[in-house]
Amino acid sequence: MNPIITVFSKGIEKSGIKPSKVSVPSDIPFGSEVVNHLGVDFFHTIRGRAIPFGTGLKLGNPALKVVPFVGDLMTLGGNHFVHAGRRNMELLVICVNNFVYRKIGGQPAPSTPVTFSPYSTFEEPFNIPHLGNSCGAVYTARWTALHTDELANSIAEALNKQGLSVIEVLSPGPNYYTKIEDIESNLINFYYENSVIKNGEDPKNARITPEEKIVVGKFTDKERPTFIDSYNAQLSKVLGDKFTPYGGKNG
Amino acid sequence: MKANPKDVNTGVYYIDGDVSSGYGALAAGCKFVGGYPITPSTEAFEAVCRRGPLVGAMFIQMEDELGSIASVVGASWAGVKSMTITSGPGFSLMMETIGFGAMLETPFVLLNIQRGGPSTGVPTKTGQADMMQSRWGSHGDYELIAISPDSPQEMFDYTIKAFNLAERYRCPVMIMSDECVGHMTEKVVIPPADEIEVEPRRFYDGPINEYLPFKPDEDLVPPMVKAGDGYKLYITGLIHDERGYSIKNEEYKFIYTKRLVDKIRLNKDKIIELKEEETDDAEVVVVSYGISSRVAVRGIEKAREKGIKVGSLRLVTVWPFPDEKIAELAKTIKAFVVPEINYGQIAFEVERCSHGEANVILVPHGGAGVHNPDDICDAIEYAAKEKKRIEGVIEYKTKLEKLVFEEGYKLHE
Repeated sequence: MNPIITVFSKGIEKSGIKPSKVSVPSDIPFGSEVVNHLGVDFFHTIRGRAIPFGTGLKLGNPALKVVPFVGDLMTLGGNHFVHAGRRNMELLVICVNNFVYRKIGGQPAPSTPVTFSPYSTFEEPFNIPHLGNSCGAVYTARWTALHTDELANSIAEALNKQGLSVIEVLSPGPNYYTKIEDIESNLINFYYENSVIKNGEDPKNARITPEEKIVVGKFTDKERPTFIDSYNAQLSKVLGDKFTPYGGKNG
Repeated sequence: MKANPKDVNTGVYYIDGDVSSGYGALAAGCKFVGGYPITPSTEAFEAVCRRGPLVGAMFIQMEDELGSIASVVGASWAGVKSMTITSGPGFSLMMETIGFGAMLETPFVLLNIQRGGPSTGVPTKTGQADMMQSRWGSHGDYELIAISPDSPQEMFDYTIKAFNLAERYRCPVMIMSDECVGHMTEKVVIPPADEIEVEPRRFYDGPINEYLPFKPDEDLVPPMVKAGDGYKLYITGLIHDERGYSIKNEEYKFIYTKRLVDKIRLNKDKIIELKEEETDDAEVVVVSYGISSRVAVRGIEKAREKGIKVGSLRLVTVWPFPDEKIAELAKTIKAFVVPEINYGQIAFEVERCSHGEANVILVPHGGAGVHNPDDICDAIEYAAKEKKRIEGVIEYKTKLEKLVFEEGYKLHE
């Protein structure tokens, strides 16, 4: 986890945005106090609600850059994710995918292609960049935790995008019954060595399976009006001068 | 502080309770409403969506109530007064985040226009059966404030009060109204802005590096800051210390939980608002709230016509509960009569606080309608005649119950 935070810090620096203007709501799996030292505001929310909490932060103060760090993204947060894409809510969703419920013993997640659970898993995992792209995200990418430069660049780019950006980061997640140091260094190298960079690839071809190489890269980069853009456009059209477009600090 | 004239639509209106509450929220300075449409609260959300953009308030119709309440907590931390609007099923979905809001000491207002439950129940008709849920619905120990208005005018006035209390005590405040009050259309007078008292957010004004997000002032309430101002906030739903960092030991759990409940309990006298009538020489006191207090007025009148000395205690603030007031009255009267649209919620609180010194008679109602004032009058009459002290809550059998259960009323004819 901590290497990703270092990269996140680099990404913010590259983006030219002041850390104090960055707010990071997270859900339960991601609760690191390290984030605090980056100079951002950090909110450790509840399971699955980092995106709607972030939506409130953004709409409460549109000058903020809101970066939900999510782990329960595809379970409790699934519907919020889908709708954030539909609205093109201005959020950078960073999904740290460790393929597993690490903190509570190693149960399979909806992003798990293989698992340590007793009889392995038999459900089809979500392809997160593909789902994000289909729902209307303007930016999607996937990197492993060792693609540090690429990831930092992606974060910097996405922070300056207008709309929903989704970055999936593959990171090791051993369960309790393995020697953590061993598996962490092995897995992180395993992901890195078994990945292939395909920028611009259609994310639907970027399914993660145990048999094939993991496709990483920047998949989507497009423009669409954001929620606030559409809100202002529609209400200005209907209300004319009576409406002051929302935005800036507290409208 | 006085309300901002831009936010207040001063005038005399003929509107329903829902719309009135929406106008009240905007007059209080509410600048963010996240909601999800649900009968019978929709008119309140619509009122805000219509008028909000004209006064710089943002609204969003979220994907569900889980999202709407989370967005409200988020917006509050972005520094704006915020609110959500819902009814029974949505209220149930919001529970986890209400506890989260209480834990983070986040000011926000929740308007619950209660309907008949459980489950989908009777969406278009009234109920008062969420009262205990508003108090105990989320897991863990916390205290919050709940208000129960009984007219469209009060929906305006007490929505403003709800915002003031939320900001004052940094906690969620529930407006526990119901379908009858929400859909009741009456005259509502919206005063000029300079007659509306509005509590501003209690922002911290000391040096930036010395700010501790959960260090309380003398009244146990910590001042707040907002995201984006360089305070490097670390805010978590885990038990935390004054810095906001999670601390998992037993001592901190005590310290934190105690303050979370004490900031409401020890400020009870300043929070609680009651409307008391003719209780001085009363032998029976009717304890009521919300729409039931409107119906009780007629029941009380009828009982007085029969020469019974009956007083009224209306709970405008339901939570925190006025324990001391009930205990004090119990010593001087024979009995309490508690009409409510449920099978006993507040009646049990009244019984708890009366310490066995007065009988407690519940006049129940199954929901989807209001009491017949005759039932309240009869219950008062019974209460005045009963000489024995009877333990527990006495469930009064209403006319409708007798009709349905005893007199062979055929439901399907």
